[in-house]
Amino acid sequence: MTLQISWALLLPALIPVAAMLLVLVVDAVVPRASLAAPVIGALGLLGGAVAAVPGLDAGDPRLTLCTPAPDGRCMWDGSPLASTLQIAALLATLGVLALMSWRKAGVVDVVMLLASASGAVAVVAATDLGTWLIALELATLPVIALVAWRDRRAAAHGALTLLTTSLVSFGLLVLGAALWVTATGDPTLTGPSLATAWAVPEQRVLASLATVVLIAGLAFKISAVPFHAWTPTTLTSGPLPISALLASASKIAAVGALLVVLAPYESVLDLSPGPHTVVAALVIVTVASMLTGTVMALRQTEVVRLLAWSTIAQAGWVLLPLTALSVAGRQAAAIYVLVYAVASLVAFAAVRAIHGQHVEDGRELTAYKGLLRRDPIAGGTLAVALLVLAGLPPGIIGLVAKVMTIRPVVDAGLWPVAVVAVVAAVLGIAVYVRWFAVMFGDPDASAPKRPGRRRASVAVAVAGTAVLVVTSVLPQVLLGLVS
Amino acid sequence: MSALWVSSLLVLIPVLAALLTLGLRRTPHLAARVASGAAIVSVVVGIIGMAVAPTRNQRTAQPSDTFHVGDLEMPLALGSGPTTAAVAAIVALVAAVVLVFTQWYLDDDDRLAQFAATVSLFTAAMMLVVHARDLVLTLIGWEVMGWCSYLLIGHWSRKESARRAAYKSFIVTRVADIGFVLGIVGLSAGAGSTGLDAVVSHWTGEGGAVPEPWTRSVLLALVVIGVLGKSAQFPFQDWLPDAMEGPTPASALIHAATMVAAGTVVLAQLFPVLVLADGARWLLGIAVAMTMVGAAALALGQSDLKRLLAWSTVSQVAIMLSALATATEAIGPDPGLFHLWSHAIFKSLLFLTIGWLSVVAGSTLAMALRGSGHVHQLALVAWLFGLLALAGAPFVVGGLSKEHVIVTAYEGAIGSGGPGVVVLAALLVTVVLTAAYATRAYLVVAAPDGERSVSTRSHAVGDETAAHELDETAVLEEQHDHSGMPSAPVLASLALLTVLTVVGGLVMLTGLFNLHRASMWWMLLTALLIGIGAGVVWLARGYGDPRNAFVRTVRQRTLADNGFGFDTAYRRLVAGPVLWLARIVEFLDREVVDGYVRGAAASAGIAGWLTDRGHRREAPSAGVGLVALGLIVAAGTAVLTWR
Repeated sequence: MTLQISWALLLPALIPVAAMLLVLVVDAVVPRASLAAPVIGALGLLGGAVAAVPGLDAGDPRLTLCTPAPDGRCMWDGSPLASTLQIAALLATLGVLALMSWRKAGVVDVVMLLASASGAVAVVAATDLGTWLIALELATLPVIALVAWRDRRAAAHGALTLLTTSLVSFGLLVLGAALWVTATGDPTLTGPSLATAWAVPEQRVLASLATVVLIAGLAFKISAVPFHAWTPTTLTSGPLPISALLASASKIAAVGALLVVLAPYESVLDLSPGPHTVVAALVIVTVASMLTGTVMALRQTEVVRLLAWSTIAQAGWVLLPLTALSVAGRQAAAIYVLVYAVASLVAFAAVRAIHGQHVEDGRELTAYKGLLRRDPIAGGTLAVALLVLAGLPPGIIGLVAKVMTIRPVVDAGLWPVAVVAVVAAVLGIAVYVRWFAVMFGDPDASAPKRPGRRRASVAVAVAGTAVLVVTSVLPQVLLGLVS
Repeated sequence: MSALWVSSLLVLIPVLAALLTLGLRRTPHLAARVASGAAIVSVVVGIIGMAVAPTRNQRTAQPSDTFHVGDLEMPLALGSGPTTAAVAAIVALVAAVVLVFTQWYLDDDDRLAQFAATVSLFTAAMMLVVHARDLVLTLIGWEVMGWCSYLLIGHWSRKESARRAAYKSFIVTRVADIGFVLGIVGLSAGAGSTGLDAVVSHWTGEGGAVPEPWTRSVLLALVVIGVLGKSAQFPFQDWLPDAMEGPTPASALIHAATMVAAGTVVLAQLFPVLVLADGARWLLGIAVAMTMVGAAALALGQSDLKRLLAWSTVSQVAIMLSALATATEAIGPDPGLFHLWSHAIFKSLLFLTIGWLSVVAGSTLAMALRGSGHVHQLALVAWLFGLLALAGAPFVVGGLSKEHVIVTAYEGAIGSGGPGVVVLAALLVTVVLTAAYATRAYLVVAAPDGERSVSTRSHAVGDETAAHELDETAVLEEQHDHSGMPSAPVLASLALLTVLTVVGGLVMLTGLFNLHRASMWWMLLTALLIGIGAGVVWLARGYGDPRNAFVRTVRQRTLADNGFGFDTAYRRLVAGPVLWLARIVEFLDREVVDGYVRGAAASAGIAGWLTDRGHRREAPSAGVGLVALGLIVAAGTAVLTWR
């Protein structure tokens, strides 16, 4: 059996992999060239992003890794939606690389980042369960090492939590994949095969169960309640750039993976009986995440912990439009995760620029008093990010994303979920405005000292803020990318 | 130059002049001269406009691209017509004269340029209202006028009373504007267009479908409410006398040609609809009938001659509006506009004259002005002819126009079901009262020279000073060290206005106003009534100020000076309940609405605490525990779905 391969479509994943190999080779040949690894890594990430750009406005289907006709199945779909998520994941990883200072980013860090990025790129485009599983693990497992790699005991603790979680998650995913193949007899995640299976009651139940188990496994990666327990521990104990990675690129990868799993359900949406079990599972996870994450974030006084709980709440928002199981719902989820990833990357970069890289005391909300006067650039970018997360003008893109997530839910007739979302949105405003409000006023003497090397963090924060501002002014730019 | 060019120029010139004047504010005298120059150019353009004005039944409007706002058409066109040209010319003239006078009167004022700029903008707004063939433009001009009048009345903002007067005029007219805006919106929405012609043809039923008479009356009544506010008619009349806190040129402008007359212009534009809306006509008729009598009576009792003129304006505007309320369709709105025209001439003359006299006397109080007319022959002559026109003496401009209003009311009373009878009765009473207070005003100013010093001294500790402790001329006294002789241009302007007051009636010959013949019998009757009013006051001249024969006690005088205590009534009946309501709303907001908010915050806090309890041990063990929980959930789903 020969595969039809279109290399151009695979380039976004291949370039980071090639860069990873190159880093290792260069390190073996010239061990002293300490700057080589970050530079090659950055170029690899950038090259991957550039290679994904043609996919943004492709009219024809961009399928590859296909088995021969007549029974042709493709394992790679570089659709505009997937290309957008790929670019976002690669650029977010690049931002994280910038947040680690150039000198400190050693070979191991860069290799891990590149591995994670190539996994993220692959998982959003994969349509068969094998590629999908491997790519997903490639996207998440290196992060565990990054958390534990060069830090203190607390980080090891966080890494252990993440590792336990990942193992259980992997187990669930494998179980789900096996159930899926059993139910549909097809290792690819495609609509027609699901529709065929749906006609038989036993297979239908099995397919539903497979999807629920896959959702449970992915819920760990997305850190949705009740699979979220690792998130606050890991995010607060690891280095800040890795926390930013977990909140941005990893999140994009996990959501992309979920989009792939839910894509086939479009073809059974109108059948009778419909996929009620899947919807119920998604609704439970969504509602629990939004409410738990928000009320917990309301109680936090330590900013990274607050951001961690806000990640959980925002995971609920990402899942919200998926409960409709429609195309519009998947597009809305993609938009929301993009906006969220950029905003949280900006927030973490600003926090990094204010406090430095390490876990320290004093990352309390009170340390942000008068930040807008004391440090207008970091304070201003952080303010924009918080407004976007809260969905308040002038962070219009946050509001647009929230409205877009609620619309498919309403169209699908899931009114109670929409009402919960509105309640969560109101509470969420309180979460971010609590922080936002502290930044006004006069700075006092207890303000933390500005860290020495922070140019890269400020640059990441400013670039991300520019994206947020531009999309706030012209939301159609972002909306056009995924449709 | 076509009539349309004239209308555009008349709106644009004052706007540009206002901008230029404001730009030159660092050199106030140059700025004021620029404003006056532009105003004089406007007068020339206005006279040309009268010459090239379209003839009757040939209303023109700019052909312009129609904007579409949703389903609403918005032509945003200016237009012209015979009466439009005449009114525009007189507005331009009054504005020019006021600006020339301002240069002398506010010579030492540090904000002369701002004042001149505001006057120019005010004129532009009035020109916009006069020429608008689109209700949106009317509304813009209307609101800009309200804003400019606030600035002009509050010009001496260091004075507490001037600030209060400015606020009062702004708030009172704004409250009435609620009606105006609602009415305009309703009329436009019904017609599907904001164009004046479209609105008129829709609501008169020319377009085919006959509109609901009830709706038409309500919408016109709303517009009338706005007009009553802007024109200081009952029950909104009280802001205008207080507006005397502004400098005299501002009063001349507001009273003579712009703000208070704007309502007449707008209602004249809507006249074809108004004449069909009986409810609105009754509202207008009753309000103006009450206003003209009440204001004339108050004018007689004022201790301050400037406030006397203010009340006379209220009364005279009521007379203009009464012509619109009673006119039949055949007569049309022109008698009212003709009275606007003549009133603009003689009222600006009177205000500028009293501005001059107050500089001479150092006050506008009647006792201070006693005998002040002897300062210059022209002052006395101007004052005399202005008052003759005010009283409506035959053949001067005010007499002719008032005659036409009376005939219009008579025709309305016998010819249609409107409020003609009530208005006619009120008009006749007002004629007597107007003659009386005009005679009084003349007798005070023209008292023999010898009495002046005596009376000033003897009244210095009198009971009347209480009414006006802070007089505008107190501000001026420091500024004017000259002998009170105005400059030559000012004298020339006054002379021009005086001449126009005498011969202005000749405008009837141009045919710009569509007027019917006045009857000789009515003229005789009016002359008789004027004679009665003037004669009674003449007989009372032995009291020093003839007023003292009518208002004898201090209490009565205070009541007259306070305008029957309407200010208190506003506070008790409007401001009080509104504040009370605001307090209730505030209470509800704080105790009920905020209660929900606080409750929500508390429940979020409790939920957070409970959730927090579940996350105390964020160890791997807890994570594994939650994983187990997740598995149980997934397994439960599986069991449930397995049927």
